[in-house]
Amino acid sequence: MTNPVLEAIRTRRMVRALTDAPIPREQVEVILQAVRWAPSAGNRRLHRYVAVQDSTTLRLLRMVSPGMFQRPRAVITICIDGARARSFGMSPTTRSLYVDVGTSAQTMLLAAHSIGLGAGVVTSFSRAAVSVVLNLPVGFSPEMFICLGFPAARQPPAMRPRTPVTWQSLSHWERFP
Amino acid sequence: MDSPLVLTEDEALELLAFLVTAARTQLDEAAEYGPLRLLTAAGRLADFMAGRASPATRQFLAGPLRALPDAALRSVDPGKYATELDAVCQAVAEHLVNHFGGGAR
Repeated sequence: MTNPVLEAIRTRRMVRALTDAPIPREQVEVILQAVRWAPSAGNRRLHRYVAVQDSTTLRLLRMVSPGMFQRPRAVITICIDGARARSFGMSPTTRSLYVDVGTSAQTMLLAAHSIGLGAGVVTSFSRAAVSVVLNLPVGFSPEMFICLGFPAARQPPAMRPRTPVTWQSLSHWERFP
Repeated sequence: MDSPLVLTEDEALELLAFLVTAARTQLDEAAEYGPLRLLTAAGRLADFMAGRASPATRQFLAGPLRALPDAALRSVDPGKYATELDAVCQAVAEHLVNHFGGGAR
């Protein structure tokens, strides 16, 4: 019997080409509900998520995001709440803040994949400009976009690894040889 | 002969925003993203221009400029990437000579 979680992990891809079909708000909410359960260091919940479906705001985000090749129908921005982090005595560069950007991202990517949406991450954007477009409170730092839409039939070629990758080539037992 | 306007204000602003923000993101990113960003900007400019440019420029935009090398190639095969970029640069120059009428000495 196929393990659906492992199957979702194995079959998820970064989706770079999306159709023009709008995403029902309920599907975006499913992803936001999923990320509520993402691992968070110390269960401190120092991240906030801004979901955008408005076409003008999406256009503006794309204008200030050189790494956004796709034209998403929704974007969820993962933000670090710097003020809240400081309230726990953490500096803005504390590693766990960025680790949890990753756990949020993977949780949303898998959630999107599980409901038939295509998703891709973008980090090449001007944080200063995005903060203005999204009217983020002072202290909030936008760190990653999850770009959402329905996958187009044709996708750009995947970026191939320079050498073949297997789980064995990435892993070591007990200690490095 | 007057040169036709090929960009709207909205399109020009979009391109300007891309270029300025790309300058900032490039400070934190891999060096190989530099040419990628410039080529993305060129591609977007070509898309904007295509509907209003002269027939010859439109033909050029639909031809060699569409053959921009794939971003992934830069790290996999730098030599091939440079060769393909050279080919596009050559096509750009040939169109410039035809468009502006230079080079026929």
